Amino acid sequence: MSLTLRLMRCWPCLLLAAAPALAADSDVEKLTKDPKNWAMQSGDLANHRYSELKQITNKNARNLQVAWTFSTGVLRGHEGGPLVIGDTLYIHSPFPNKVFALSLEDQSIRWKYEPKQDPTVIPVMCCDTVNRGVAYANGKIFLQQADTTLVALDAKTGAELWKVKVGDPKLGETTTNTPHVFKDKVLTGISGGEFGVRGRITAHDMNTGKVLWKAYSTGPDNELMVDPQTTMTWTNGKMAPIGADSSLKTWKGDQWKLGGGTTWGWYSYDPATNLVYYGTGNPSTWNPRQRPGDNKWSMTIFARDLDTGKAKWVYQMTPHDEWDYDGVNEMILADIKVKGTPRKALVHFDRNGFGYTLDRVTGELLVAEKFDPKVNWATHVDMKTGRPQVVDKYSTDKNGPDFNSKGICPSALGTKDQQPASYNRKTGLFYVPTNHVCMDYEPFQVEYTAGQPYVGSTLSMYAAPDSHGGLGNFIAWDAGTGKIVWSKPEKFSVWSGALSTAGDVVFYGTLEGYLKAVDLNGKELWKFKTPSGIVGNVHTWEYKGKQYIGVLSGIGGWAGIGLAAGLTKGTEGLGAVGGYKDLAKYTELGGVLTVFALPDR
Amino acid sequence: MNRYIKLLCIAVCCLAGLPALADTPPYQVADGNKVDPHTLTGWRTWRAMACERCHGAAQEGMVGPSLVESLKVLTKDQFKNVVLHGRIDKGMPNFDGSKMVTENIDFLYAYLKGRSDGAIEPGRLQEIGKEGGQ
Repeated sequence: MSLTLRLMRCWPCLLLAAAPALAADSDVEKLTKDPKNWAMQSGDLANHRYSELKQITNKNARNLQVAWTFSTGVLRGHEGGPLVIGDTLYIHSPFPNKVFALSLEDQSIRWKYEPKQDPTVIPVMCCDTVNRGVAYANGKIFLQQADTTLVALDAKTGAELWKVKVGDPKLGETTTNTPHVFKDKVLTGISGGEFGVRGRITAHDMNTGKVLWKAYSTGPDNELMVDPQTTMTWTNGKMAPIGADSSLKTWKGDQWKLGGGTTWGWYSYDPATNLVYYGTGNPSTWNPRQRPGDNKWSMTIFARDLDTGKAKWVYQMTPHDEWDYDGVNEMILADIKVKGTPRKALVHFDRNGFGYTLDRVTGELLVAEKFDPKVNWATHVDMKTGRPQVVDKYSTDKNGPDFNSKGICPSALGTKDQQPASYNRKTGLFYVPTNHVCMDYEPFQVEYTAGQPYVGSTLSMYAAPDSHGGLGNFIAWDAGTGKIVWSKPEKFSVWSGALSTAGDVVFYGTLEGYLKAVDLNGKELWKFKTPSGIVGNVHTWEYKGKQYIGVLSGIGGWAGIGLAAGLTKGTEGLGAVGGYKDLAKYTELGGVLTVFALPDR
Repeated sequence: MNRYIKLLCIAVCCLAGLPALADTPPYQVADGNKVDPHTLTGWRTWRAMACERCHGAAQEGMVGPSLVESLKVLTKDQFKNVVLHGRIDKGMPNFDGSKMVTENIDFLYAYLKGRSDGAIEPGRLQEIGKEGGQ
């Protein structure tokens, strides 16, 4: 950022007094338009994870080499990735959530921030202490700590500017998501679906942290911030108002108060509609019999007005979840042809195994197709009702508690978990990291105690049977038709966020620790083994005329810590765990940022 | 070394004319997966608290340590102390706030001891003498 700009920003009110609406806006949108930066975790407001940079191409990617590396000094799962603004790179770590500002000139540490957090949050974090990265705007770095503290730091010095708590770890509430800066607001969510947390999203004043609005996923209309008459949802082939008590009507008694619907995913924002898009997680508990009804609005895509918080439309993907198919995965905004007609689309790869395309302005359902042929819990999504048609055999509710429902695909990890896909603006296709894992699922009755696990199901997971034997695929997807264009098998789940570029290269990381470059047909061009398994996301930037690729390695997350629960006698069926146990042959813990570039000519 | 101490202990116990306590397991098991009602309650407590999220489905350890190994070393009192008060900085929660755990801690110990001894198999259990499960 130039000095002039910085000076101007000190006096925005003076300079822009005539246009107060604009005065408040942050510089983040502008920064994302310059491909030299990587100014948001997903690269832009629309969750594209696409870069216009094209120094690295499908012709020369095989020459990539390590430019420099940086250790975070922390173990456990390193999700998210680096931000680059100008000549500074910002990188974070899992708990204790360190933040480093590194000079791109000599990789020296300009400043380091390490929050003081109560270690009691560690046991609450569902066993891994991930954090999906920091956000930047107007000379501030925003960090969402594990203990639910949202903090703003001075990007120049690392000094704390303000702090606000958005939850209570004593109730099982923690936070793992990146903060999202849209216009003049910072939006954040909550985790804790396995502790009976009641999900919500909060919007904060970027300059003070003050809460501007707070919208719950479950409960009464005013707390949902919906309007029974004007908030719309897909109903019998068209959009219709949701009506009064849309959530309360779908829960038994007070269960909605422990209802889950957490909000730990990747949100997006469309300045044209002023709508924020995000998804909600699983309903609590995992024993579906304890919560009869559709459990709205868990497992739902929300479109809310950024300024008022009011929901314009909602769409529930998995009514009455029986498999833990959280709906939090990224909402990608893309203007594409859908079944031949140009649409302002929202594309979402759900944990439930269906790739959804909706009209992001109206909320209409356009496409819902399986993005892994093995998906079997539902035959299809009924396009008129928008409801998946559940196969009785795989209904853990119909089969009931203490019955082991076997062979459900996908597993609770979903066909895709939070690892974000990339939308390539050149090809119009989506490049998606996926899981190829199925499960056995046995629910049981469970009682709620505040701050204690509230799961109520035992799971066993294994590679999809009668397939290539691996636990993942990396695929190309046509969201306009709902078809897999190509699929590249992987030994393990692909738990790394993808990146595609104008140089016709697609990057992703693997759990063994490889960073891979493939061409637009999925052909492997290059790979490099980083120090640990990759659950981070691939980012790119340019500094002094050179394009760099950066990725965090550091095994962890749900995939890396193993899989829950054998139910069968002895070790039969525990081969599931064996699938991931193999990982130990390839990788060990430890967080490192590895940065790649082409050699100097 | 351990074995030597154990033998010594048994020898001392025998010399003192006391029963060797180590020889009476706190659980009863048949066919590896049928147990007494108390041990079954212990398994149910393990399951309800989602302990497998850290210690693994077969108690062999993941983020948390292997309980199969730990229970070869920990005394019953040490075990209870860790479960009730936690090892917070290591990620082990304190379960003294859970009625289910405080009421059934002896049974939880019995179940895990059976797993550690190799007498109880991993996975679901049923009550001795009752047809259950699937």
